[in-house]
Amino acid sequence: MTIRLITTVTALLALVTGLASAASYPEAPIVFDKPVTGVIFSHKVHMDKGLSCEMCHNRLFEMQAKKAQGNADFVMESLYQGKYCGACHNGSLAFAANTRCATCHIGVKGAKRLSDGGTQEETHEH
Amino acid sequence: MANHSAPTLNGLVSGVVDRLKSAGIGYYLLLLITLSLVLAAAGLGLLAMIRGHEHYYNVYREIPWGVLISTYVFFVVTSTGLCLVSSIGHVFGVQDFMPIAKRSVFLSIATILSGFFVIAFEIKIPWRMAIYNVISPNLTSNIWWMGTLYGVYLAFMFAEYIFLLMNKHTPAVVCGFSGSVAGIAAHSNLGAVFGLLMGRAYWQGPYMPIYFIASAMMTGCAVIIMFHILGYKLNGEKMGPDMERALEVTTKVGILLICVILFFTTWKLVAGSAGQPNGAYPVVMSEVAGHHAFNFWFFEVLIGMVGPLVLFILSRGRNLNIMLLASISMIIGIFVMRFNLVFLGQSIPVYYDLGVNEYNHLLSYSPSIYEMIIAAGGFGMTAFFFLLGEKVFDGHKVEHH
Amino acid sequence: MNKLDLNNLKNEGVENVPMQERRDFLKMGLAITGIFAGGTILSAVSTFNTANAADFAKKYPYSPHYSMVMHQDRCIDCERCMAACVATNHVPNVPGAYRTTILEKDTPDAVGGKREFIPVLCNQCNLPQCTRVCPTKATYKDQTTGIVLMNIKKCIGCLTCQEGCPYNARYFNEEKKAVDKCNFCWDTRLSKGEKDTACAHACPAGVRIFGDLSKQDDPVFKTVHQIEKAVWVLRPEAGTRPNVFYTKG
Repeated sequence: MTIRLITTVTALLALVTGLASAASYPEAPIVFDKPVTGVIFSHKVHMDKGLSCEMCHNRLFEMQAKKAQGNADFVMESLYQGKYCGACHNGSLAFAANTRCATCHIGVKGAKRLSDGGTQEETHEH
Repeated sequence: MANHSAPTLNGLVSGVVDRLKSAGIGYYLLLLITLSLVLAAAGLGLLAMIRGHEHYYNVYREIPWGVLISTYVFFVVTSTGLCLVSSIGHVFGVQDFMPIAKRSVFLSIATILSGFFVIAFEIKIPWRMAIYNVISPNLTSNIWWMGTLYGVYLAFMFAEYIFLLMNKHTPAVVCGFSGSVAGIAAHSNLGAVFGLLMGRAYWQGPYMPIYFIASAMMTGCAVIIMFHILGYKLNGEKMGPDMERALEVTTKVGILLICVILFFTTWKLVAGSAGQPNGAYPVVMSEVAGHHAFNFWFFEVLIGMVGPLVLFILSRGRNLNIMLLASISMIIGIFVMRFNLVFLGQSIPVYYDLGVNEYNHLLSYSPSIYEMIIAAGGFGMTAFFFLLGEKVFDGHKVEHH
Repeated sequence: MNKLDLNNLKNEGVENVPMQERRDFLKMGLAITGIFAGGTILSAVSTFNTANAADFAKKYPYSPHYSMVMHQDRCIDCERCMAACVATNHVPNVPGAYRTTILEKDTPDAVGGKREFIPVLCNQCNLPQCTRVCPTKATYKDQTTGIVLMNIKKCIGCLTCQEGCPYNARYFNEEKKAVDKCNFCWDTRLSKGEKDTACAHACPAGVRIFGDLSKQDDPVFKTVHQIEKAVWVLRPEAGTRPNVFYTKG
């Protein structure tokens, strides 16, 4: 509960102060491949919503891309408990992690399309 | 003219040998070319059978039937047409059609054998068919009925031809009538193979069996006209008035049937576009204005029907050169027509209306070189039999009583 | 006969009707409305793509009557089902060879999602086209389970079944020299005592629920026999009465 409160406060602060405006971030979306193939995270989509780096880094995710997928607890159950994406994707800040599955899960097909050099998925994200 | 007194075997053999000897170098060259086509097709077909069809053919999961099936359909359409049109005379007694009987029956056998030849290489395990069609028949299967009835049809046509050769008129008529019935049943079942597939809107309905029969008659007229004119050219003979009259009436029947098929085709298009029926509308649009439009308008409509219709009318059934041109054009057009029919029904994926990325577009297929050679082998076989038949059976001359 | 003269009857007024009678009348009205509402909902559901689900739910001729319900919105295209199917059923690694696959539908303008994944496999139809068109009975409906099976030694490879199938569930297997298709893992799992298919077993998201429609307490039966959530089948117009149902949630 404390984590959720802190997150909420931080998110609101970030939105108010506009800390996100000048941040630089990886252009290409991150595509996790464990424990299942093809889970997309787009920095751009999240930055465009006015979030800042510090909101997730390094508390929820380390700077090194896809490091989290090495953790044994990088599973949906953890998200439901407020870890990782679940910190915001809880149904109040952002859509709950147990809904809209195929929004982040682009699947084997989506991952393949991205690795084949297409940037379509980025455009699909809007 | 053939001798009326009972010929001896030696006499017959020496007659054949004489006729073959008298043929020119061009004849032998054509015989060689057509035979090599057949052998090349057979070789490639066997290779594909042994090493796996998927290495040689461009058909795939969503388009399982390619040019070999459409070529098979073309040949059986042709054979049925030859049988039906020629039966007007020697079975149903319309005198004008009598002179075309022998050559037509011979060619109906040649074309159906060509059809079987081609489909043997499209069916993946044909030898299992020989066994299980007999010991495990499925009576609800149109393809079972088609195969079985075409077998019966072939037997009747063989018997009919032999009786015609022997001048035994009554059994020839009986066999001809039975062959016609078997042919109509078999051929409409072939239409039903397509027409009764509930998941294929472009084919589905009673249209196909009916269309197939009308289409067979149309094709039969074209093939009769072409092969009779070619036969006389090959033998360097001039047609008698009986034969001229026969081709004139065949041309008239041909004109009628082109109109019938144009009428059918028109309503197929209207039915497939009015109300934009699911599963058929996108196909009809691709046919009329899409990527398949050239195949449809140029080959199917212009070369296959409208062009020959105009030429036949201009020829008045008498100008043999125009009629030959018209019939060749028609046969080319009809071959593409059969391809369109077989391919277009499959070109819309079964999941098209689901709107998924994999199947939100029409599918394409173009035959591989191997498929084309095997299809050409079928034509080679018909041509080979035709050439051989002209000399062996002495221009299929009809006995007069 | 004394006819009731409605025109000349004096209006008694509702105030004269005893309270109990009024209550009963209202109850009856509610009951009737309830029935009609129920009926309307049922028929609305059955005309909305689920005609098959509602109509054929009544009779399940097989025992067990194997069936699968797809919770479509749960599918994340991880394709573990496909991998499990390939491994279990020895599906060759060549293009076009699969017994089950996942289709992808983009829904860029939809509220609540950018895409949908739709798993598909043989629908084990009650009125299969494939078995009707097969010339040699190489493919047939199993009398006990209703699974559409292959007798590969009879398959002549005419591929008419592939043309007939409205679900693209069949392919020619060059290794077996016969058409191959999903058989709910009959030979590889069910007949050996396993309770589900390899794909359902491998699914991490609870998309594929395998069950038996002949048992009323089966989860698949319960999902198909409710009217709160829409249940539908693919290609109902093909009339094959499929046994694979789709739902969301």
